Amino acid sequence: MKSLLKLAGAVLVGAVLSGPMQAQTTVYSAGDSTSGTYMDYMKTVYARAGNPEAVQLPLTSFDNNYDLNGLAAESWSQSEDGLTWTFKLRDGLVWSDGEPLKASDYIFALQRAATTGYDFAWYWGYAGGIANWDAVTKGEADVATLGIKAVDDKTIEVTTSAPKPYLPGVVSLWYPVPKHVWDKLGDEYAANVETLVTSGPFIVESWEKSNNKMVLVKSPTYTGPWQAMVDRVEIDPSLGAPEVGLPAFMAGESDFSYLNAGQIPFVEQRFPGQIAKNAVFAVSYLSFDLSSAPFDNINVRKAFQYAINRDEMTATVLKDLAIPGKSLLPPGYPGYNDTITAQAVFDPEKAKKFMADAGYPNGEGFPEVEIWYRDQGGYNGAITAPMLQYLQAQFKDILGITMNIKVMPTKDWMAGLLEKKNNLFLAPYEYDYLDPSNFYGIFYNGGRHDHRIAAYDELVAKADSAPVWEDRDQLYRQAEQVLIDNASFVPLVHPITNAVVSKDLKGDGTLPNKLGFAPLRQLALYFYTHIEK
Amino acid sequence: MIVYILKRLASIALTFTVVSVIVFLMMHAVPGGPFDGNDMPVSDEVKAKLNASLGLDRPLYVQYFKYMWGVLHFDFGVPFQSPGETVLELLGRAWPPSLILGGAGVLIGAPLGILLGMAAALRRNTWVDYLASAFATLGLTIPVFVTSMLLILVFAVWLDWLPASGWGKPYSWVLPIVAYATIPLATYARYTRSAMLDVLNKPFVTVLRAKGLSERRIIFQHVLRNAALPMVTVFLPMFIGTATGSIFVEAMFRVPGLGAYFVSSINLRDYALEMALILMITMMFCVSYLISDILYALLNPRIRTGGRRG
Repeated sequence: MKSLLKLAGAVLVGAVLSGPMQAQTTVYSAGDSTSGTYMDYMKTVYARAGNPEAVQLPLTSFDNNYDLNGLAAESWSQSEDGLTWTFKLRDGLVWSDGEPLKASDYIFALQRAATTGYDFAWYWGYAGGIANWDAVTKGEADVATLGIKAVDDKTIEVTTSAPKPYLPGVVSLWYPVPKHVWDKLGDEYAANVETLVTSGPFIVESWEKSNNKMVLVKSPTYTGPWQAMVDRVEIDPSLGAPEVGLPAFMAGESDFSYLNAGQIPFVEQRFPGQIAKNAVFAVSYLSFDLSSAPFDNINVRKAFQYAINRDEMTATVLKDLAIPGKSLLPPGYPGYNDTITAQAVFDPEKAKKFMADAGYPNGEGFPEVEIWYRDQGGYNGAITAPMLQYLQAQFKDILGITMNIKVMPTKDWMAGLLEKKNNLFLAPYEYDYLDPSNFYGIFYNGGRHDHRIAAYDELVAKADSAPVWEDRDQLYRQAEQVLIDNASFVPLVHPITNAVVSKDLKGDGTLPNKLGFAPLRQLALYFYTHIEK
Repeated sequence: MIVYILKRLASIALTFTVVSVIVFLMMHAVPGGPFDGNDMPVSDEVKAKLNASLGLDRPLYVQYFKYMWGVLHFDFGVPFQSPGETVLELLGRAWPPSLILGGAGVLIGAPLGILLGMAAALRRNTWVDYLASAFATLGLTIPVFVTSMLLILVFAVWLDWLPASGWGKPYSWVLPIVAYATIPLATYARYTRSAMLDVLNKPFVTVLRAKGLSERRIIFQHVLRNAALPMVTVFLPMFIGTATGSIFVEAMFRVPGLGAYFVSSINLRDYALEMALILMITMMFCVSYLISDILYALLNPRIRTGGRRG
């Protein structure tokens, strides 16, 4: 009898221990940002800490097919004159401290951004086109005059200075700020885990300031779409470098790792079928100072245009790292078109003729030029040096010119570009939002290149506000044609990234999209909420 | 002696001030500021607001004196790249891992290097010497990130004995410390070998042998003692080097140390942190040289009297 009781007890204990307990699923991920500033996208974008995109809830967001989804916003509509957009928030959304998430939290986020200095302010003026944005950021108008309004707790109204047909995509980067917390703590609320209040599918469990490693856990209060499918995500920025990430991946300490060029063949052999490729929607191009010699001469710029063998470059020195860049827009990006790309041909004879027409036959008399590029990590860091060395040799061979190469810190490079301290730059650009206006904005009305081509500016302005997509598309094509005809820039490549993904990681977030690419962390919120383990 | 120390302290204060002025001016002379360098330039109005929020809108001399006044009160400001804490708090959390890594690396590497160097010198032109010299040369010439990668590959990936990276429990410190220790090991091995060979060839060693002293006594009591002097000179800068962290070892093994901040503070124009780090190194060098000068002065009275006979 005693033995039976013992046996029954053991079975019971075993059942209790094994039954309701379930192991927590934890995903170990490399982080993007090594910054330890504010985990608040509306405070700083370029220096943000961690992944605020995964813990705060934007009005809308793109999935891995780049289709727009409503997140905080359940629906949206445009007024007949095209100047006002109305966004309706979902019911039941709350902050992680239980306070209701209101339209006023979104309004406050942009009001603060417009008045206190925001490194991404250009976005809401140019892309958002919010009425009075520039006047308010310059301090010329009161913040109350901004074209944003909380009609009630669930309704946001946005008035733009010109029709912005793509505004629902732009607001994918509009995150709320918990005003009730900010009123007590100011911006510092987002600098420490103890005071951070979130609105998205994850909350921040820990934030180690020593290396900015963050642990996100599934939010118990989040009721919106894109619920987290894993319990915990450990995001460690120090795993971001492939040289560190791959060994950690191989030792089972990370669920995926980005790869550098040297690692790709090894990983293809060692982990067949586990490499995910992604077009990062970026472009690298040659940028000239159009106002000073020798690049004020259009024939010189045209010679450069025709002297580049993109196909050979991307098949050799940039193999697996980039695809030929024949237009400003990358393949798959809205507005990408073959009419433009067909013109980016490699024609050495034509290049030589343009050099001769410019007064430099076989490069004779052409001054030595120096191309400046910025010292970067990531996909740009992988492609720039080999690409420039390739171009250096090609320009010497075809154009008969000497192009020296100079690398510099990003800040110095940007200062050089803006202040025209040099006349030739290798410039990279990655998209911020999914609309052609994003890329065309680089050259619009000065932009970062100060080109100021009236015909181009006029076409882009028209395209930005045209209500019908087909009309916009045509206008953007014409605008890019102006740039091509003027040889204002020379597109070179569109970079791609490679990552090795653990077989344990599953879910739509890891799968290739209809273009064959897996954006992974590039779409942080979608990725982290659409993975299973 | 007290006068000598006071003079040296005054000299340190002057050095500290001159370095602070030079570094401050150089920092601000470098093109670009904390808010330049983004893909899309920040407008002048926004930049003005951001600069004002950090006090960068004030004249340079005001910024300098304000900062130095803070330094005198142990307030080194707030790092732009980590605004939730002060510079001192950042140093307080980032320095210990660097100290552990560097300190343990030197404490393990230096004695092993001395032993290796001694073995090489005492077995000159034998396979022991060739092996030790080859080992030391490899240790100095193979970049530490390659050594780190090999250690990770063998001990973490193939053997699965230790974690590939991270800085949690003490067993995760093993690989980074071993990687770091190769540098002092190789350095000391080469220094010890050449210093010992130098002393072994001195006439007094022949005299000692002629007197019939045992080889062990000659080596440990006379040769090693004399050979130690140049090694002591190497030790000081090497120790300061360890205190400031190793960028490569820390990056490869994900050690949350100070090394990366030397680079990021310059790249991000994090003036407060950049100044604090440079001033910290300056002070460490000043203090360490003061200590060694005092020791020399104690050992050699001619130094503290300026070489004059009283």
